[in-house]
Amino acid sequence: MIETRELRREFGGIKALAGVTLKVAEGERRAIIGPNGAGKTTLFNVLTGELEPTAGEVRLAGEDVTGRRPHELARRGVARMYQRNELFDPLPARDNVAIGVAAAAGPYRPFRAPPASELLAAEELLERVGLAGRGSVPARALSHGERRQLELAVALARRPRVLLLDEPTAGMSPAETNRITDLIASLDRSLTLVVVEHDMDVVFRLAERISVLHEGRVIAEGTPAEVRGDTLVNEVYLGKVVA
Amino acid sequence: MPKSEQGAVRRALSRFALPAAALAVAALLVTFPIWSTPWESSRYATGILRDMLILAILALSLDLLVGSAGMPSLGHAAYFGAGAYAAAIAGQRLGNDDLLLGLGAAILVSALLALVIGTVAVRAAGIFFLMLTLAFAQMVFAIAFQAADITGGSNGLVVFLLVLLLAWRLRSSAYGRALVGLRENERRMRALGYDTTRLKLSAFVVAGAIAGVGGALQAYSIRFVSPNDVGVARSVEAFVSVLIGGVSTLLGPVVGAVVVLFIERVMPSYIAFSETVLGLVFIVFVLAARRGIVGLVRESYARVRA
Repeated sequence: MIETRELRREFGGIKALAGVTLKVAEGERRAIIGPNGAGKTTLFNVLTGELEPTAGEVRLAGEDVTGRRPHELARRGVARMYQRNELFDPLPARDNVAIGVAAAAGPYRPFRAPPASELLAAEELLERVGLAGRGSVPARALSHGERRQLELAVALARRPRVLLLDEPTAGMSPAETNRITDLIASLDRSLTLVVVEHDMDVVFRLAERISVLHEGRVIAEGTPAEVRGDTLVNEVYLGKVVA
Repeated sequence: MPKSEQGAVRRALSRFALPAAALAVAALLVTFPIWSTPWESSRYATGILRDMLILAILALSLDLLVGSAGMPSLGHAAYFGAGAYAAAIAGQRLGNDDLLLGLGAAILVSALLALVIGTVAVRAAGIFFLMLTLAFAQMVFAIAFQAADITGGSNGLVVFLLVLLLAWRLRSSAYGRALVGLRENERRMRALGYDTTRLKLSAFVVAGAIAGVGGALQAYSIRFVSPNDVGVARSVEAFVSVLIGGVSTLLGPVVGAVVVLFIERVMPSYIAFSETVLGLVFIVFVLAARRGIVGLVRESYARVRA
């Protein structure tokens, strides 16, 4: 569904991505793990078109989309749950999602009020992520956990084919972590998921396959069991966390 | 009163408060010739009211950029001036002083100018956007020339009400909501598939076209167009109107235009240093009341209801 070939990205002399080749199948649930500075966020920024790669290729459903701009990739079905929520803070939760739902129809409808069907779809999504009845609360007035749930709803609003989840449980309490992990696990199986996450319990619950990123390269890839058994991985990453 | 009934009354109030206020203002404006007779002698008051309407149109169009989309343009008079010149020249060359013809010419020319300038300007953000719009407006100012007496009458009030209606529709439409999305989080808008550069450009062009309408009215009612209509002072006047009246409040720019011209044109007959007063009022609003007069009124109204 989404793949990269020898993807490179340099900042000055620093190689954030030093040739990343990944292939995530349709409907697959892939986790990308690695220490801070491994290039995970840079990889996501390239996959969403927010950064152009220095070299290499990004393919989406077989099409070469390298260098496409973010809105073009979004229209082709790529969505992202940002690590730091990207919401419309003063707007009610409902409108946050509705702007996403309305994106497919486009903004050039200047004279009529948005159709009720858009608000209805937004309410349904809010319910889906556990925010039923919170639609009229401004995004900025929600709790941290609720804001993460809203961020997920906004990311889903355009009915993406590929969802990139950037540390979905960052800053959450154990209870909140459980709730959002359940939510993500219950998403439609046809949706391709790529999740960057530090919490290894969450990774092992969500992922079918894991890629380990280290210094801008994939140093290991396999099922959770295989990655757990990999000595190199244990040295550079898991050793510190799981021990 | 039972709670549910109270809620219904509140809903009815909030639903009809705005249209009622708009109607009241419109009624006041329409009956202006009657209640203004005490000072009619010099026709000075009529002139001031007309200028208020014109500045209000310019401010309304600017608020679409500043308020809704979060794009602080400091060169908005360029489109106003372009509209004024277009209307004037079209009327002169075609020997026809039909207001509709002037408005058409103004909208077309202003929109085109905004399209050209906007194509460059919307690629910048924040202070750079502000400086770019100012720089372009200064270029337009530099090439503006004196166009002598243009004849024609106008029905400014009708045009003003149409612009107000348009601004209200835009705000509550999917388009207006997308502009607010742009102001609040451009990155999220892009990630949702909105072409934000194009969206900004569209807002720039629409705002430019509406400013052109104001310019056409100016050309028709004053029968004289000068480079000052394109100048930075005019841009600042519009900007101050938006800020004092209330950013992104629909009626704010109208209220602001009335206040600004009242201070600039009426007060000097009564007190000295009215320019200083305008400056002070401006500073007070920037520091203490970011949502302007209309924002203040709405906040106190909400507090009374609560």
